[in-house]
Amino acid sequence: MSLSYLVKRIGFILFTLLAVSVIVFGITQVLPGDAAQMMLGENATDDALAAVRDRLGLDRPIWLQYWDWLSATLGGDFGTSLRTGLPVSEMMLPALQRSLLLALLAILLMLVLAVPMGIIAALRRGKPTDVVIGLGSYVGVSMPEFVTATVVLLLLANPVLGLFPATGYVPLTEDFWEGLHHLALPVLTVSVILIAHVSRMVRSEMIDVLHTDYVRAARMKGLTRRRVILRHALPNALLPAITIVALDVGYLLGGIIVVEEIFAFPGIGRQLIVAIQNRDLPAIQAGALIMAATYAIVNFLADLAYAALDRRIQYA
Amino acid sequence: MSRWNMRRRSLLAGSAAGLTLVGTGLLPRLAAAQPVRGGTLRVSVDQAPSVLNPLLHRVNPEYMLGEMLYSGLTRLDTDMSAMPDLAESWVANDDLTEWTFTLRQGVTFHDGSALTANDVVATFNAILDEATGSPARRNVGPITEITAIDDHTVLFRTSGSYADLPVAVAYTDAKIVPASILANDFDSLNQQAVGTGPFQLVSYEPEREVVVERNPNYYDPARPYVDRVEMVIYPDITAEGSALISGDTDIMIRADPTDFDRLANSPGIDGLRTPSGQFLNIVLGCDVPPFNDPRVRQALALCIDRGALVDFVAEGYGTQGEDTPINSAYRYWADVGHREADIAQATSLMQEAGHGDGLDITLVASERPGTRAQMAVAIREMARPAGFNIEVQTMPHATYLDQVWRQGNFYVGFYNMQPSADAIFSLLYTSDAAWNETRWNNTDFDALVEAGRRTPDGPERAQIYAQAQELMFANVPTVIPVFFDLLGAKQAYVQDYARHPRGAVFNLDQVWLGDGAPSRD
Repeated sequence: MSLSYLVKRIGFILFTLLAVSVIVFGITQVLPGDAAQMMLGENATDDALAAVRDRLGLDRPIWLQYWDWLSATLGGDFGTSLRTGLPVSEMMLPALQRSLLLALLAILLMLVLAVPMGIIAALRRGKPTDVVIGLGSYVGVSMPEFVTATVVLLLLANPVLGLFPATGYVPLTEDFWEGLHHLALPVLTVSVILIAHVSRMVRSEMIDVLHTDYVRAARMKGLTRRRVILRHALPNALLPAITIVALDVGYLLGGIIVVEEIFAFPGIGRQLIVAIQNRDLPAIQAGALIMAATYAIVNFLADLAYAALDRRIQYA
Repeated sequence: MSRWNMRRRSLLAGSAAGLTLVGTGLLPRLAAAQPVRGGTLRVSVDQAPSVLNPLLHRVNPEYMLGEMLYSGLTRLDTDMSAMPDLAESWVANDDLTEWTFTLRQGVTFHDGSALTANDVVATFNAILDEATGSPARRNVGPITEITAIDDHTVLFRTSGSYADLPVAVAYTDAKIVPASILANDFDSLNQQAVGTGPFQLVSYEPEREVVVERNPNYYDPARPYVDRVEMVIYPDITAEGSALISGDTDIMIRADPTDFDRLANSPGIDGLRTPSGQFLNIVLGCDVPPFNDPRVRQALALCIDRGALVDFVAEGYGTQGEDTPINSAYRYWADVGHREADIAQATSLMQEAGHGDGLDITLVASERPGTRAQMAVAIREMARPAGFNIEVQTMPHATYLDQVWRQGNFYVGFYNMQPSADAIFSLLYTSDAAWNETRWNNTDFDALVEAGRRTPDGPERAQIYAQAQELMFANVPTVIPVFFDLLGAKQAYVQDYARHPRGAVFNLDQVWLGDGAPSRD
């Protein structure tokens, strides 16, 4: 991997973020209503609107507003929320941390469940176990998360059983078990599609790998079945899964918005929805950029990991 | 000259003569049991506060914070009269255009600085400044000038006679903040609270929990009764109800009509229900066809089965409206009669108005709250037999505010109770109303509202407001068929808490914890 390749990739990520910011800015200009209108709500008389727009700087030319925002952001200042009057970074960073926790736990759950499920299904190909796992993952892939969330809520958070809290969030630092208790349902909902997706991937890759010459050679050397599967077959079957997981992060970001809204989880997705509802441009920009950056960076890292694990792959 | 003598409420509690004084709304309950001090009160709300700055508050959880952390000049009693807060007493000149408020002595802000008349002047100037964007600007009365006479006396001048000024300055957002902060660092009020209120801010995590504790220097040494209030935010109202039932919280500020029975029937829980002036209405553009013809407006009003609407839209937790914005929760409500549904008469009015072949028209309803669309659909069905072919169009709230509200000629409105008859009339229905959305522009009505402003409280004023309500009932500038009761719930051990009819007033400094309250240390 050459230095010029790295520079090129990073440059491309920065260009993507710039483009995202321009597009988000443009879209918010076209939306009906602005922050002044949402702030004043039904108190919006024409003169009050004009005065508040003047105070927030919303009456200046669009390109000037964009330039001010861009130069401040490049200097590390995401601006002040039009809705709360608080620094955007102060609102977004804690929300991002909570969302990352949710995403990491979902990925962890996915790895713990999806990989063994995929392996077992591949080894028992065509047997009842395989059919059950296949069917389950098929259902999992096809259900959008708002349906999964509703089912999960109905089954696990109904007032009669009351096994899990339906909404809310408790910091793990405040009460670890209560915090996990609140995280359980959102994590489960987000990870259902991931688990289904990745287990199918692992199964088909595993089946391919089990029919390769080197696996046959390893068997004929007299290695144990366990060693053949875990040492020789699995690493090669997992390689494509890295790409899938990286792509799934994109899904995860979208899914998290829906799941956070349903479970009233105070993460970045909910912040973004509230920001959009209130036409809170600095917060919308920050939220969109964080999401775009996460996606771009994770894909970049996946490519790097791919190269590191498979020496045949060279980026130039 | 009208004059109100005010004394500290704690003095009134022990005195039999107290019954003759203003502010009686709270006395009977105080006489019933002696409040106990101490404890932590956990209050749940269904919406996160957005701003901490009290001049910019717009929704109930924010009003609750403003009320705990700050004080106004006056407070609104449950009968909608003004009670003293930072102002001990007030007095007006004969034509009610100059009001002098006398401030309490020895009041300090949370940062230790003393409250003076300058803080009051600076606060009201900030409220009246358009650039502040305070919702209070149009609601504190027609104030033209505020002057500090001395450290503890403030003079308000109004543009015309205004009998309701003491009530108007009790507006939820008219909270007194230090002049020095207003002058130097207005934006800091988004992150800190420097008020004179009964509580002071401990932590502010708007998405989750806001904690306040007793202000040891509050001007009334008796209040507040609880040591600490935790405001917990539950965006999901079902989970909020479950938290109350399981004992996690003590008061649930707002309950949904659909959930109210479950809460009220749970052991140890009291359902709270207060009739209020909050209403849904059909706004009619009275200056353009078809609603510039009063017969069409009357015909629409005659189509509506108001009892059925109360059941359908408010789940029975409401009262019928008679096309005036004043109901029994207001001080100057007048019984103007009841309009029964009468399709035959509605049809003949439509024929007279030239719509015998039917009238095609689109009724717009914002998606927030959902009851708007519910009512639109019900009205569509009720009005069909008389020849109204209504198409209901729903839209996102932002689009509604931008494109329909105050501009459209046929849409569903939703308004909270205002502190006085004048406040709601001059907000919506006079020719110079802040949001003259019906464009009724009725000079007789304007004259009555104007006369009401000039007349001190008493029978003469009641007569004037009764005429104004009769005029609206007869002429139907808007159809107001349903008022909502305000619903909430509390643990039985929570004492002296009730929903205030105004909706935006909570009086948590009066609340105390009786026998059976859990200790939350």
